[in-house]
Amino acid sequence: MKSRSLLATLCLVLVAGNAAAHHSFAMFDRDHQILLKGKVTEFSWQNPHVYIHLQATDAGGQSRNWLIECANPGILDRAGWKFNVVHKDDQLTLVVSPLRTGEPGALLQQIKLADGRVLGNGGPAGPPTISIEDGKPLPAGANK
Amino acid sequence: MRRAAACLGAAVLLGVAAGAAAAAAPAFDPKDFSGTWDHYPAPTESSSKPAAVPGIPVPARVPDPPLKPQYVAAWKAERKKLADASESGEPIATGYTHCQPDGMPAMMMAMFPMEVLQTKRQTTIIQEAYNQVRRIYLNDTLPAIDDAEPGFWGHSVGKWEGNVFVVDTIGIKDYVRYNNVPHSAAMRIHERMRMLDADHFEDQVTIEDPQYLTAPWQWTWVYQRRPGYKMYEYVCEDNREYADPVTGKARLRIDDK
Repeated sequence: MKSRSLLATLCLVLVAGNAAAHHSFAMFDRDHQILLKGKVTEFSWQNPHVYIHLQATDAGGQSRNWLIECANPGILDRAGWKFNVVHKDDQLTLVVSPLRTGEPGALLQQIKLADGRVLGNGGPAGPPTISIEDGKPLPAGANK
Repeated sequence: MRRAAACLGAAVLLGVAAGAAAAAAPAFDPKDFSGTWDHYPAPTESSSKPAAVPGIPVPARVPDPPLKPQYVAAWKAERKKLADASESGEPIATGYTHCQPDGMPAMMMAMFPMEVLQTKRQTTIIQEAYNQVRRIYLNDTLPAIDDAEPGFWGHSVGKWEGNVFVVDTIGIKDYVRYNNVPHSAAMRIHERMRMLDADHFEDQVTIEDPQYLTAPWQWTWVYQRRPGYKMYEYVCEDNREYADPVTGKARLRIDDK
């Protein structure tokens, strides 16, 4: 598992190149991604990161206001987003990598918008490892 | 007579071949860097594989700096500390956490798209990340090192040597560092930029710093055209990541309302 994680990290460094030099995502646990469903309480389209505030119930049944870190507007725009694809009160489904601290913060891996479109979070953040439909692990290399 | 006809035929054929080659490779102005550019190979913001183009070699990775022996241990220790912190899941906050731009020479790695504007007296390079702007004054003179006010992008002058745009830069702040490499106020950044074809140009970078380096530190960055791209604004407006005042580790500011 450790070597697999190391390999994944290495691949990401090689693939992400310069953007990885920009920013470390190590505070987020990308080996244990989770599905979050909830309602947007705030959407901040800004640099250096776009943020989604999502009132969501976690696997333990606790409703919390999650802070979801996304890439920046430029990267997201080039990955198919626009400043107005998310709105307050939208019901969203997200695949995220939670903070290692257990606080309700996470890195976005994939988003299912209110209109059903599915978008990623740009190359540097890396791909989702679980399905946005059912939270089950994706086959290795599914997003390569 | 027959030989003359054969020669003429060959000449016509050669002409046709040359014409075809010219048609295959569109003409370009070797002194025109203007436009919007990406790092080469292509960044991977929306795809998973960097795209290299036949005929344009992928530049080698930036080598370790030839630091003087007395500085090597401290530099390696700092790099290890950063790598270990990331590996443990607690990355150390960087200048980016504080919304500080790269400065020189790091901005030329083209983390995000880059725009080049050329006028008669000035070449301006804009890096989308952090709205970085670099002004290179043509056929101008640099101030003396002691008189060069330190900044993030310093003072740059440029001149043409044939089709190579040669740029010299001084006056970089002490803590504006690329790959955490220390430098003195006497550091000079020498760049040789040239078009490789209509859609690629390279920047050969040489860092000279007699106080810290035993030899020039050199590498090459290559850029590819991003046609029609309109640069995004970038104001580092509200970073929810912050540096823990005690540990210096990067944290995320959560307001669980």
